[in-house]
Amino acid sequence: MNKKTKVELMWILGVIAVLAVSMVWNIMLVDNQSAEIAQADTGKIPTGPYVIDVVGRQWDWAFTNYTGNTTYDAFTVQVNHTYTLVITSEPNPGSTAVIHSLLIPQMGLQSYAVPGQTNVIQFTPTHVGAYYFVCVEYCGEYHYTMRGYMTVVN
Amino acid sequence: MALYLTLLEYSIAMSLVGVVAFFVYYLYSSRRDALAEDAESHDYIDPASYARDQLKTKQRFADWSIFLYNDSKSIGLRFIFTSLLFFFIAGAFGILLRVSLTVPTPSVLSPDQYDIVLTQHATLMLYMWAMGITVGLAYYLLPTAIKVRRDNMGSYSSFAYWIWLLGGIFIVLSRSSTRWYFYPPLALQGTLSGAGADNWLAIIGLEMIFVAIMIICIVVIRMILMDRSESVKLGNMSIYAWSVLFTMILAVLSAGPVMIALGMLFYDFFNPIFFTASSGNVLLFTILFWFWGHPIVYIPVIPFFGLIYEMMPTFTGNKVYSYSSAVFGLGLLLVLSMLVWGHHLMNSGLGVAWDLFFSTASFFIVIPSAITVFNYIATMWTAPRIRMTTPMLFIINGIIDFIIGGITGVMQSNVGVNEIVHGTYWVTGHFHFIFLGVTTGIAFAAFYVLFPTFTRGRKYNERLAGWHFALTAIGSFIMSVAWTTGGFLGMPRAVDGYFPFFQPFQDTAILGGLIIGVGQLIFLYNIASSWLKAPSTDTSNILEPDFPEPSGSAVSGGR
Repeated sequence: MNKKTKVELMWILGVIAVLAVSMVWNIMLVDNQSAEIAQADTGKIPTGPYVIDVVGRQWDWAFTNYTGNTTYDAFTVQVNHTYTLVITSEPNPGSTAVIHSLLIPQMGLQSYAVPGQTNVIQFTPTHVGAYYFVCVEYCGEYHYTMRGYMTVVN
Repeated sequence: MALYLTLLEYSIAMSLVGVVAFFVYYLYSSRRDALAEDAESHDYIDPASYARDQLKTKQRFADWSIFLYNDSKSIGLRFIFTSLLFFFIAGAFGILLRVSLTVPTPSVLSPDQYDIVLTQHATLMLYMWAMGITVGLAYYLLPTAIKVRRDNMGSYSSFAYWIWLLGGIFIVLSRSSTRWYFYPPLALQGTLSGAGADNWLAIIGLEMIFVAIMIICIVVIRMILMDRSESVKLGNMSIYAWSVLFTMILAVLSAGPVMIALGMLFYDFFNPIFFTASSGNVLLFTILFWFWGHPIVYIPVIPFFGLIYEMMPTFTGNKVYSYSSAVFGLGLLLVLSMLVWGHHLMNSGLGVAWDLFFSTASFFIVIPSAITVFNYIATMWTAPRIRMTTPMLFIINGIIDFIIGGITGVMQSNVGVNEIVHGTYWVTGHFHFIFLGVTTGIAFAAFYVLFPTFTRGRKYNERLAGWHFALTAIGSFIMSVAWTTGGFLGMPRAVDGYFPFFQPFQDTAILGGLIIGVGQLIFLYNIASSWLKAPSTDTSNILEPDFPEPSGSAVSGGR
């Protein structure tokens, strides 16, 4: 084994070592928090006081809580409760539904809103305040208006 | 009255087009006759194959005759200069996008105009600039790199060039506003607020580009595997030829699904059955699309890695540190890049298993990238002396940009980080680092090296080239850093209205974008003014090793 091969082996093994650590860390993270990853619903849609129905339309977000109260481009949650978002996309009258994506960056939460599919995702707000959310999947002319604030209250 | 005037204008315009067309035909016809006579005197039956045999592996200069001959070098020059033209068109669109974001609400451009310009910028940059320059350099450089024995697929290549160009023109004419993803059902909304009234034309144009890419891949793979000289063994073929071979194999393997998907999408315009909410298959298109959509971002990068390997030794004065690990790294990149496309759909509800598989596969892609980068660094490390010419500066900047772009890229493959940055400017910053640093930067480096050959021995202005490099490198760095930073805070892409607190990041990106724009204007001026001067150097260059170097200067052409 000459010097060249040694150097090459050294850098390949170094990279693999760093990668192995980050991959294992990534897998453990995902396993622990798999409920915080968007998952297409397998048939049973959860219900209860901490379930919010989210509907992406061209071009606003409609949030319906368990009392049937619907707000647009804004919603309120209580701190330290685990909320479940049930996200889908619906058409405007005379049009077709398109793909949207709800992103709440400070919550580390994102889920597509796919026509004909219901995505379920969980999150737990731990601090009181206002958190902005945006639509990050391009959905037409007024895509940029699909944004607003989530308010976390006591 | 107005009608007559319009008719008059149209008829004058049509007559002018007719005159130009007749002149081109006259040139073509007279040169063809001359060529036929010449071929006959050399006992050739087919003038075209005579021309190709005469021209193959010889230097070709950029003049109008490249549109008349079908040899590989002429085809390559056509692709190179057409893609440069599209680079400036799409670049102007990019600048327009930047300057329309001075305030957080739509101002210069209305939202639908912004979306149209955005779609044009993305589609043209990818398919007309990045693909075009990749293919053009391959056609231009390969015949000398592998010393082709025969060059007899020129008609196919010429056909591919014309439908590629027509496809690009169709995309411009369609004024599509669906972004380069063409996600249905938005792509099927034929309204101004949806995908644009003529989006079907963009799909036809894209399909034509794909047909062209397929033809080109087959021709180039055949050229490398079957038509290279017996003296060039596969085991010591130039790394650039290897990288082009890998790229073309990658394109052939991955373009099929999206060609089928585009066909299905086109059918959906008339009878929406495939990608509709009721069929439950909306995500099917995205899956088929990204099966190609991920490899496409490697296709314009791998050959430029090969070009770095090809050009770097001239400026460092030693050999590439390790030939075998260079080829191995690029080959591994080919294999792995076909396994990671699902990371574009991590938050779409396809589930935890999907996320875990593609996130883990995406981590692996670091291995070949790191092998490649370390190989560059080792080559420079062991160099006796590095000459900092403009091409070498572009190469070093490309490597630095690739390291930053690669690290921001692999961070996204972490599922948690991906959830935050997916669909934000982070991703935009990540791929602009790579596309501006590697694809565009190395293409400019190769262009500067080849410039004396293109122009029959004219020299470009070194000082202006240095300014072009500095402005491009600094501008793209400022722009991409502003984007990645803003994106990490959730600044969404593809919008011309946003929360006002994102404005500082946009302002910084505008500054960077304008700096890049000025740099490209300097490049244009440099090329135009240098071309008008008298030839003052010889036409051989480092990328065409077949030609004996004149004594005294190793890179007389490239310098």
